[in-house]
Amino acid sequence: MNIDKYLDIISACRFCFMCRHLSANGLATGRECDTPRSHALIADLVRMDKANLANPDYIRTIYESDLSGANRRHCRGYHADTNCYDEIGLQLALRRDIVEAGLAPAEINAIAEQLKDVAFTVKGTADVLYYRHPCVDRHTPEAADAFARLAPNAAVIEGGDCGTALDILGFAQDAQAVAAKFLAAVKAANCKTLVIPHPGAYHFAKQNFAGQGFDIITSADYLKGLAPKAAKSGKVVFIDSDFLSNYESCNAPRELLAAAGYQVEDFGTNPEESYACGEGAMVQMLYAPTIAKALVERVARFAKAYYDGQTIVVAAPYTKAVISRFAPELKVITVEEAIA
Amino acid sequence: MLPNSDLYPFQMIRSELTWIVGEANVMTDDAQKLSHSIDYYWVPECWHDRGQKLPGPDFVVCPGTAEEVAKVIQVANTYKLPVVPWGGGSGSQGGALPIYGGIALDTKRLNKVISIDPISMTATAETGIITQQLEWEINKAGYSTMHFPASIGCATLGGFIAHRGTGVLSTKYGKMEDMVMSLEVVTPTGEIINTLPVPRHASGPDLTQLFLGSEGTLGVVTKATIKIHPIPEARKFHAFLFKDMHDAMMAGAKLMTSRLQPCAVRLYDEPETARLIKRVLGIDRKGAYLVFGFDGPERIVDIQLEEACKICNLTAIEDLGTESGEAWWTNRYKFFYPPYMFQMPQAFGTLDTVATFSNIENVYWGMKNAVKEKFPEATFIGHFSHWYDWGCMLYARFIIENPPADPAESVALYNKVWDVAIREAIRNGGVINEHHGVGLKLGRMMKDLYGPAFTTLEDIKKTLDPNNIMNPGKMGFKGA
Repeated sequence: MNIDKYLDIISACRFCFMCRHLSANGLATGRECDTPRSHALIADLVRMDKANLANPDYIRTIYESDLSGANRRHCRGYHADTNCYDEIGLQLALRRDIVEAGLAPAEINAIAEQLKDVAFTVKGTADVLYYRHPCVDRHTPEAADAFARLAPNAAVIEGGDCGTALDILGFAQDAQAVAAKFLAAVKAANCKTLVIPHPGAYHFAKQNFAGQGFDIITSADYLKGLAPKAAKSGKVVFIDSDFLSNYESCNAPRELLAAAGYQVEDFGTNPEESYACGEGAMVQMLYAPTIAKALVERVARFAKAYYDGQTIVVAAPYTKAVISRFAPELKVITVEEAIA
Repeated sequence: MLPNSDLYPFQMIRSELTWIVGEANVMTDDAQKLSHSIDYYWVPECWHDRGQKLPGPDFVVCPGTAEEVAKVIQVANTYKLPVVPWGGGSGSQGGALPIYGGIALDTKRLNKVISIDPISMTATAETGIITQQLEWEINKAGYSTMHFPASIGCATLGGFIAHRGTGVLSTKYGKMEDMVMSLEVVTPTGEIINTLPVPRHASGPDLTQLFLGSEGTLGVVTKATIKIHPIPEARKFHAFLFKDMHDAMMAGAKLMTSRLQPCAVRLYDEPETARLIKRVLGIDRKGAYLVFGFDGPERIVDIQLEEACKICNLTAIEDLGTESGEAWWTNRYKFFYPPYMFQMPQAFGTLDTVATFSNIENVYWGMKNAVKEKFPEATFIGHFSHWYDWGCMLYARFIIENPPADPAESVALYNKVWDVAIREAIRNGGVINEHHGVGLKLGRMMKDLYGPAFTTLEDIKKTLDPNNIMNPGKMGFKGA
């Protein structure tokens, strides 16, 4: 089983409570099962008896997870001298085991089928290739448009998710098949730099396409070199991306906002918690809208308490999409929109 | 006995609960039941580790207001269902385990800071808030709770109130019973009451203190007003090495009886200095490590630090300096993270107690010698971590590297170690616990500790909770 590679994580996390204050789902729902400890306990039961993998309550809990990575990042802070405990890796392994056993819920299978349906095409020829990710295209086309205004000569690739969401849902083989198609299209474009505005896809690309003859950077990194310096002013409230902050330690969006002249104030009460509303799970709001709504409600409560009426700048298009769906009264824009 | 979940009476109860808190907040699924069947108590961890089935709740109910808590308790009274409050579930005494089934009343939706009073320096919050989240919200307003326990990230405000918890800076800022101004409580019969708004008065006995430490047996604390503090201008630490624990204890006691006001003092015995201080801080010395700190206006901090150093320099064998002290502060929580924390298959427990300076070393040696004599397979280590004008707290621990594989044998051995060690503490002037509480683990010793006074506690419990629904079987009270 895939979880067999994570036995040390199960052993360490199953009775450890030290990161529970950063479980985004747990904070939003109050549910005890939405913590790394509980996920590890479930994995431990599966380790002891594989039949537990078929328990629909356990499957639902594992799929509803926010995967923000805040817990893992916190743990890493206490283990500079060793590898930290990769509770995200454990959850993804459990998802892969669920899929490989044919136990994925019907709605997850339906989403996966859609994600497998890709056809990547490249428009234009240039050293810079911009990946118009479907999440950006669907939820924040204005971000892509803003990028196009700032970098009109970039070529564009589109046609589906490059495998990230499939991988996160536990469809590892399918994710690799899609990733191979994406890679072939990128290589055929002969670009030197692949610019990815979607933080999840950026993380997946860094993991899977490194060393393929082109650089992989975020759109914020790219725009840092293009956007007019200090053209903006005033304070912006900023919600970072789970993938960029907790998975990649990438500070590019915040740096871009600062370079543009904004005074950047991080959203919320602390620098550790995820306010990205389930971005780490990438498609959570499609199959767990109740959880997604609870995550947004927590952010909306803090927004009202501390930033009433102010515009919130987000690093991830998913975050904008989910907040816009469940708290339309909040003013949310992407980083690209903020600097355009 | 609760009806079987396949039968309609079970569904009737579920319906009633659902009408109070909403469908999404009444849970009977296996993931929630599993999560509420194991807290930080070693016994359920062992039980799980050895593949045994754990007793869990029939319902997990997550109320969002005190009114909802009251109505849930009224339903529980109707059906004589046990109600076990659950906050962060990180208690080490089994206090939050629903051992008779019934309702696990998860308080984590009661998670809001209601108000901050900068004039009186108090804050009012719902008690299901995780204390780190509470601290962050108070910080946002420019203040601090000064409550920094190792479990800050996992335990709720209500959990600390339930068992009189404490934090690293307790020596200056007090334990939870010193921090609380007043409480809102849902009684075992479902009434919402408030204790007096101030903790100092001559208006009768103090109800606030009655509920503090009652571990969910006398009701559910739903709201608390606590003291808050300014962020200090300076906080500085210093560490010394002493030949042995006795010399270090004398110096520590002198710090306190000189009426200096450190925010923290911690003394590690020789085995713990050799084991944990070496592993976590990288200080490899033979002897007893003593660290202390002061906070407040910098000039006052410097003066107090200088006086404290003078006291320690009289008998210490090495001045480890400020750097070593600061390193301890920086790493104060690290001891509790894996792999630094003990873990299965080890059997381990924190035998914490408290006594006067006259008695505390006798308590230490009484416990240590008893454990050593009766359980040669156990290692005994300890530190003294919360200091008062009159004495200090002993955070002793036993570790058995390879307890029996059979879970029943292993738990029997574990219980025996606790029994021997804690009874020895009581015999030497200690009590059964200082800040982790009584719970399921130590309930059997409450009668011995209190003597005839325990009847008074039992009478209070019977009067407040005539149907014995609130956390039955804990703190030495009658089971369900």
